[in-house]
Amino acid sequence: MTALERIVTTSVVPLDFTYNYRVGPYLENYIQGLGRKKILGSKCPDCGKVVVPPRKVCGLCNAIMDAEGLVECGPEGTVDNFTVGHVAVVKGLIEKLDVPQVLAMVVLDGASVPLLAELKGVEPSAVARGMKVKAVFRDPTENDLSDLSHFEPV
Amino acid sequence: MIMSNVAIAGVGYTPVFVSKRKDVNIAEMISESVATALENTGLTPDDIDAVTFGNMQTFEGLNMPHLWSAEHILAVDKPTIRISTGGTTGMSTLQAAYYYVASGLYDIVMAVSWEKQSEGDSQVGLAGIVMPEAMVMVQHGLDLFGGGGLSAMGGGSTGAASFQAMSYLHHSGADPEHIDKMAALERSNAALNPYAHLRKKTSVEDIQATPFIAWPLRFGHTCPTSDGATTCIVMSEEKVRKMTDGNVAWITGLGSATSDPSTANFLEGQLTDPAEQEPARIASAKAYKMAGIKDPSRELDMAEMYNGFAHQSLMWLEKLGCCKEGEAHKLLDAGALNIDGEIPTNASGGVFSTNAIGASAMNRPAECALQIMGKIEGGHKIPKKIRKAVSHGWGGMFQYVTVMVLADEPMKS
Amino acid sequence: MQRKVAVVAQKQINSADVGMPRERMLYELVKSLYEEVGISRDDIDTFVLCSNDFNAGHTISNVFEDCPVGAYMKDETKVEADGVWAATYALARILSGLYETALVVGNSQGGSVMRPYLMMDYQLAPVYDRQLGLLNELSAAGLQAHAFLAKKGLTPDTLDEIAARNLADAAKNPDAFNGKAGASAADVAATDMLYEPLRKGHCYPFTDGACALLIASEEKAKKLTDRPAWIRGVGDSIDTYYPERDVVDVKSVKLAGERAAAMAGIGLKDLDLVELSAKFAHQEPILLEGLGLPADGGAASVSPSGGAFGAYAFNAAGLVRIAECFKQLTGSAGDTQVEGAGYALAHGQDGLCMQHNAVMIMSSEEG
Ligand SMILES: [Zn+2]
Repeated sequence: MTALERIVTTSVVPLDFTYNYRVGPYLENYIQGLGRKKILGSKCPDCGKVVVPPRKVCGLCNAIMDAEGLVECGPEGTVDNFTVGHVAVVKGLIEKLDVPQVLAMVVLDGASVPLLAELKGVEPSAVARGMKVKAVFRDPTENDLSDLSHFEPV
Repeated sequence: MIMSNVAIAGVGYTPVFVSKRKDVNIAEMISESVATALENTGLTPDDIDAVTFGNMQTFEGLNMPHLWSAEHILAVDKPTIRISTGGTTGMSTLQAAYYYVASGLYDIVMAVSWEKQSEGDSQVGLAGIVMPEAMVMVQHGLDLFGGGGLSAMGGGSTGAASFQAMSYLHHSGADPEHIDKMAALERSNAALNPYAHLRKKTSVEDIQATPFIAWPLRFGHTCPTSDGATTCIVMSEEKVRKMTDGNVAWITGLGSATSDPSTANFLEGQLTDPAEQEPARIASAKAYKMAGIKDPSRELDMAEMYNGFAHQSLMWLEKLGCCKEGEAHKLLDAGALNIDGEIPTNASGGVFSTNAIGASAMNRPAECALQIMGKIEGGHKIPKKIRKAVSHGWGGMFQYVTVMVLADEPMKS
Repeated sequence: MQRKVAVVAQKQINSADVGMPRERMLYELVKSLYEEVGISRDDIDTFVLCSNDFNAGHTISNVFEDCPVGAYMKDETKVEADGVWAATYALARILSGLYETALVVGNSQGGSVMRPYLMMDYQLAPVYDRQLGLLNELSAAGLQAHAFLAKKGLTPDTLDEIAARNLADAAKNPDAFNGKAGASAADVAATDMLYEPLRKGHCYPFTDGACALLIASEEKAKKLTDRPAWIRGVGDSIDTYYPERDVVDVKSVKLAGERAAAMAGIGLKDLDLVELSAKFAHQEPILLEGLGLPADGGAASVSPSGGAFGAYAFNAAGLVRIAECFKQLTGSAGDTQVEGAGYALAHGQDGLCMQHNAVMIMSSEEG
């Protein structure tokens, strides 16, 4: 190896990155809803669209949605689109999975737009668009985003 | 050849600039300044042709944050561009809006800048600038936290700024007490500004009671880290005539310039004097020429300097030709830099009192624009009529400068 | 447009592992451009750099590019994304009348970076998707590919064929590194499945690369070259990040194309070629449909350079698309030359599933 080909990869630089992302009122109310096993969305006062998870601004009409007037969606919904993952991307690296993972875009009853979630309890080959599914919550809940564990067929 | 006149028609700040906005997330915080800018100009989202967007990359660990902020900055279905140049980002983002309008491509462009420093780690972010050098140091067995390495970067940006302050004092003949005095002046200005972060009337003695970080810089000479956002609405002359009452601030000159980033290259030694700041001369000369300003020391009515550290307001006044070399501290002593002085400098309190980094270099021209339009809220309103103002941004690795000159009248074409 | 502006010269480097620091890569690239055109850095009025701190591993990445590209003590700014936005900004700067020449330089080293997908994770909404770990560039592309095939009633063979054609085209392009002469759909179908129906062979290659474009006003362009390529129109549009966005019928592509065509005063069906930044095979037909072109491009040749399959340096790929259009319009595209190319469109994208799209229309004739 010539000096020009040398690569420095072994250094451990003592830098630790800490981020503290504030969730804001919309997502705070959403997470508290999950803690009660309820899925909440925000409703646009102009176009009536209900988005899950809730957020402040409707991109269609630039209207401000109400953080306190969230509406309950689901827990049942319909698979709009899906993919079967044979890998996972873990900290930027592709890792092969022993068991495939189904990721589904689920339009919850009462919602206008899909929510991305894991779909379990069904063979990947049996997943289809239009399939009815329902939310499964962690039990007991912990007031965290991950309280909405996954979906399974109705 | 300038092909068309361009103006800042309005400014929107978040309601406050504080150390921690706990009540909102990033996109929600930015949306506050966007809504205020529209409210202040009477425009609707449909009036906006394009959006320019910037913040300090990496500080909050967010890559391309405009993507998930699109609806909150009212950008959906619009041309949008992501600008980032470090500490100067705010002004670079505003300059992009200027060029978008001056090009004739768009008539009304919204420039959005922000930072929510409480959500990231700014000193780690800044250390990222010297990461490769730090990697090499560790590889060679040098101790990052002892000896020469520490003095250059261990104190974060303050460590490096201390070299600049020392050189500035040496060359200008100013005393360390002048830094204290400038710090007290700007903190007291900030106390009058409802959008400033550190708002406490401060005396020279208060500053002198704070501990040294790296001589000659004290804790009282350094800026805070802030959460906040700023939005400027930039308009073509035709739209100004049609859609406003004509009370706008015209962008008459602009420039940006860089140098080599070796200032903090401690392995090779200090190649460049960090107080030389040649890019400031280059960028300001270009901006003044464009604005038809022949003698900035006589023609300018106010200045907003980018000062992460208190000595810098004095230094920049000299580098930008607002006075002769070695004279800024004399102007300070004579009261010329006060809000009611001849060349009020950082009437807002400067970056030194409010530092949401990505927005900091936009707040400088925004403050000039508000002073020109007579729309300053708060006691830092300059009592005289402002016709010409200079604003300045600074960043990169101590070597990147942006300048914008604003005026109450457009250039004659 | 209030002035005529042209691309005067292009240079690009693309490699799986370029074997040198990015500063050196940029120095070599820009020096070769200066030498070819017969100019020096003194002739550049403004520099528009395109890079990204996460890709560079360096906060304020442009700072370290100023010296190698010759921007020190000069006017410089930095734009992020793939370079089409940077070129558009350079165009705006020249149109303003304040500059006659601009050098646009984009670069990134996704080939030799250890975890390139990590940079995309940092693009996710921090308070939601980044916390859940379900969404990443590949799962998003898998969902988009599945939605596309389902909506069109197509099978994954379509994706294999698109990838194979691009790989074969790239083999004819000396500026691409990932070409495979004689690549077949069967080869692509044999690559690893990632997120159904997306296979490894449907994805862009990680690339160390850089691209420099010299852009100039009419007066200056005519002094610098006999064969400029004229910029006739630009268009850009961002859509929402959130999943309510239709990722098959992509509105931002449609809007970007329409805006550029209106500015250029042509119909998109008048194009002789399109250079598309389709990072994944299924994105090529989605882009063509968004631009109002038939699935085979119709009269327009589709990415004769091999497109994003030949090379895809994150912050240079869009500039490479413009550079490839320049080569075509100036008759210097060698084995990939489209005979008589008069109008070309370069496309760039950003965000998951092409959230943000920009295009530039160029012509060989002044117009
Ligand atoms: Zn709505």
